[in-house]
Amino acid sequence: MKPPEKYNPAVLFVYFLILAGLVMFAADPVMTAIAFVAMNLTAIAYSRDGLGRAYVFFFIIFVLTSLANPVFSHNGVTVLLVINDNPVTLEAVLYGVMTGFMILSVLLLFRVFSTLMTSDRLLYIFGRAFPKLGLLISMTLRFVPLFGRQRRKMEDTQRTLGLYKNENAIDTIKGKLSVLSAMTTWGLENGIITADSMSARGYGTRQTRTSFSMYRFERSDALMLAIVVVCCSFIFFGIATDRLKTEFYPRIRLQPLTVYAIFAYAAYAWLAFLPVIARIRDRAVHRKVFGQD
Amino acid sequence: MEILRVEALNFEYHDGKQALRDINISLEAGEMLCVCGPTGSGKSTLLRLLKRELSPRGRKSGNIYILGRKQEELSELEAATGVGFVFQRPDMQIVTDKVWHELAFGLENIGVARNEIRRRVCEIACYFGMESWFDRSTDTLSGGQKQLLNLASVMVMQPDLLILDEPVSQLDPITAADFMATLKKLCREFGISVIAAEQRLEELIPASDRLLALEDGRITAFGETRKCVAELVNNKRFAAQMPASAKLFSALMKKDRKTEKEELWRSDIPLSVGEGRRFLREYIGKSDENAKTFEKLLRGDFAEVLRQDDIADDVPSRRESMDEDALEFREVFLKYERTGRDILNSLTFKVKKGEIFCMLGGNGAGKSTAVSAAAGLVKPYSGKIKVFGKNIRDYRGQELYRDCVALLPQDVQTVFLTDDINGRHPYDLSGGEQQFAALELVLRTNPKLLLLDEPTKGLDASLAEALKKRLRELATTGVAIVIVSHDVEFSASVADRCAFLFNGEIVSMCDSGEFFSGNFFYTTALNRINRGLRE
Repeated sequence: MKPPEKYNPAVLFVYFLILAGLVMFAADPVMTAIAFVAMNLTAIAYSRDGLGRAYVFFFIIFVLTSLANPVFSHNGVTVLLVINDNPVTLEAVLYGVMTGFMILSVLLLFRVFSTLMTSDRLLYIFGRAFPKLGLLISMTLRFVPLFGRQRRKMEDTQRTLGLYKNENAIDTIKGKLSVLSAMTTWGLENGIITADSMSARGYGTRQTRTSFSMYRFERSDALMLAIVVVCCSFIFFGIATDRLKTEFYPRIRLQPLTVYAIFAYAAYAWLAFLPVIARIRDRAVHRKVFGQD
Repeated sequence: MEILRVEALNFEYHDGKQALRDINISLEAGEMLCVCGPTGSGKSTLLRLLKRELSPRGRKSGNIYILGRKQEELSELEAATGVGFVFQRPDMQIVTDKVWHELAFGLENIGVARNEIRRRVCEIACYFGMESWFDRSTDTLSGGQKQLLNLASVMVMQPDLLILDEPVSQLDPITAADFMATLKKLCREFGISVIAAEQRLEELIPASDRLLALEDGRITAFGETRKCVAELVNNKRFAAQMPASAKLFSALMKKDRKTEKEELWRSDIPLSVGEGRRFLREYIGKSDENAKTFEKLLRGDFAEVLRQDDIADDVPSRRESMDEDALEFREVFLKYERTGRDILNSLTFKVKKGEIFCMLGGNGAGKSTAVSAAAGLVKPYSGKIKVFGKNIRDYRGQELYRDCVALLPQDVQTVFLTDDINGRHPYDLSGGEQQFAALELVLRTNPKLLLLDEPTKGLDASLAEALKKRLRELATTGVAIVIVSHDVEFSASVADRCAFLFNGEIVSMCDSGEFFSGNFFYTTALNRINRGLRE
C-alpha cells in the first residue's frame, strides 16, 4: 500500500465520496463511533496546521445538533423530563448525540479532503471530463494570486503617493475603489499579453485539446479502487436490505451481532481507518529504510 | 539552411504611422540575431510580424519566408510550432498555475497524445534543470525561473525559430547572463535560430552571430556582428549601446580608421570583456606612448563611466550641503515570516541630503525590502530607521509621505491610477516612457528623500542618460536619492557612493570610484577590461 498522496486523484476522490456517503447514511452507533475515532485520528495525522481552533467550532456544532434533536423530536418511550408540555425523551437525546458525532465525523472528513484534494488533483478529475473548464480553473488559480499581489503592491505605492490622505473611512473606501478600478485596467491590459502568449503557443488551432496531467492510473490504483468499491457495496447492501439496522424509536434496539454485521463493521472500520493505517505503515517503512528520524 | 528570409518588408499601422520600411534580412539555421535600436525604432513590430499569430494590424507589403515557405502558406499547426515567441514581462505570459502544466500547455493545444506530452515535458524540464521546481505553483517562482519557464514552454513545441522580445530586461545581470548562455546553447546544440531584441547589449552582442540595427523603422546596419559593431560604434545614436570593449577599441584606434587598415579594424574589434582585455594588454604593451594615451582616455572621455577620478563636477558643490542626514538605518533586522530567514540582517547605513546613494546586489539580497522599509511599507522587528533625524515610527498617518519621502517602485504600473498621461494611456507607452511618466508622478509629491527601485528597467541608452541628468538635477536641489539596482553601468555613472548588499547586509560601501575599481564581478565592463593592466 502506498501513502494516500501517491494514489491517483480519481481513487482518492471516489474513496472520500464513498466514505462521506457511508458516514452520513449509517445511522448506527457502532459505525458512528468507528467513524468518529477514525476521522479524528485521520485529521490529526493529515492536518498541516493546528486543529485547536477547529475543535472549538466542532464542539459548538456538536452541542447544537445534539440539543436540536430532542427539542424538535418528541418520539421515544423513555421520558426524561417535560418542558412546556413537551416530553424530552432519552431516545431523542441519544439520537441527537449520535447525529452530533456523525456531523463532526463528516466535518473532519472534509477537512482531510481539502488538504489531500489539492487544486491540481481536483483539476485532474474535472479536466478530463471538461477540458475547457479544466483550463479555465487552472488559469483562474494562476490569476487570482497574481491579481491579489499586484493589488497589494499598488495599494502600497499609492499610499506613499498620498492616496489615503486622511485616515477616515470615506477616504479609505475612495482610495480602495480607485485602486480597484486601476487594477481592472491592469488586468485587461496585461491580459492581452497572456492572450498573445496563448495564441503564440497554438491555443485554438485544434478543436479538441488534450487534457494532460502528471498523474497515472496504475495497477495499485485499480486494486485499491476495487477493494474500496467492494467494501462499500457490501455495507450499503446491508443497509439497503435492513441487515444492518439500529432502531431508535419508539425504543432503542441495537443491531444484533450477526455474522453479516461483524463483517460489515470490519469492512467499515478498514475503510474508515485506511488513511491512518497508510500513514502509520508509511512511517514504519520509512523508519526501517532510513533509520530513526 | 535558411530559416528566415524577409524581403522588402514595409509596414504601416492603421493610424498612418510607418513602422517599418524596406526591411531585408535573412537568417541561417543555428544563428543568433541580435536586434537593437532605440525605443520606437520598430523592433517589436518586426518581431511580431515574424510570428503570424501576433502580427499587428495594419498595411503590410513584402514577403516573409519561414523555412523557405511564405508565412501565409503555413498551416496553423506549422505556424504555431515552427516559430516560438518569448515576451518581455515574465509574469504575464504564464497561463496556468503549475509549472508542469505550463510546460504542457502548448502541446495540449495542438492535441498531442498524453504519453507523448509526458515524455516531452519531462525531457525539457530535465534539460533546463527544472526538476526541483517542476511541481511548484508558477506563482512561487523567481523572475529568472519564470522567464526560463517561458522559454522552456516554447521550446517544448520544438520550434525552428525562436523570437525573444527583450527577454532579460526584467532580470538582474547575472540571471540575464545565464539566460543568454542558455539561448546560445540552444543555438549550438539544436541548430535553433534565435532572434533577440534587447536594450542592454553588453552580453547579447558577443553571443550573437548577426546584428540588425534599426532606426525609425529602417535598417541602419545588418550583417556579421563584428562588422556591424565596427560601424555602429561610430554612429552617435548607437555608440552608447555598444559593448565597452568595442567603445574602448574605437577610442584608442581612432587614428587608424580611414586608412588602409580599415578592413583590419573591422575584423579586430573586440566584443566581449575577454577580447577587450586581450586587446588592451597588447595595446599597452606595445609602447609607453600607448599606455599614456590610454591613461589620458580614462581621465578624459571615459572618466564618466569609470569614475576613477574624483566624482563629477557638481559633486563638490553638493558636498557642501551634505551635512544633514536624510536617512539612517541602524542595525535593522527584518523578515516576512516568523520562521523565515532574515531579509535584512543588521543593515546599517546613512544617506546625506543631496547625496546619490546606490545599493547593488543580486536577487534576494534584500534591496527592494530595504527601500520598502525606508518608505515605511514594511516594518523591521529590530533596529532603527531614521528619516531626517526622526524615527520612522514617530511619523503619524500620512506625515511621512507629505513633502518628505517618495518611492518609485519596481513595478511602475502600480503608480498609474489615471488613464491619461499627456493624452495617452500609460499602458500604451513603452517601458522606458512608463518609467519616466511614473517618476514624474512620484516627484509631484515634492519629496526630499527619493527612493528608486530598479529605475533603469526597460530604459534604452538615451533614456538612461536623461534619467541620470534628472537625478543629478534633483540632487543639486538637496534631494537625497537612494537607488537600488542591478544596473552596474548606470549606478557607476550616477552614484556618489555605492554599497554592495549581500544576504541583507552591506559588505562593502565606499565612494563610487573606489567601489567599482575594487569589485571583481560587480563592476562595470570597462573596469573588468582594464583590471590590473594599469600601474
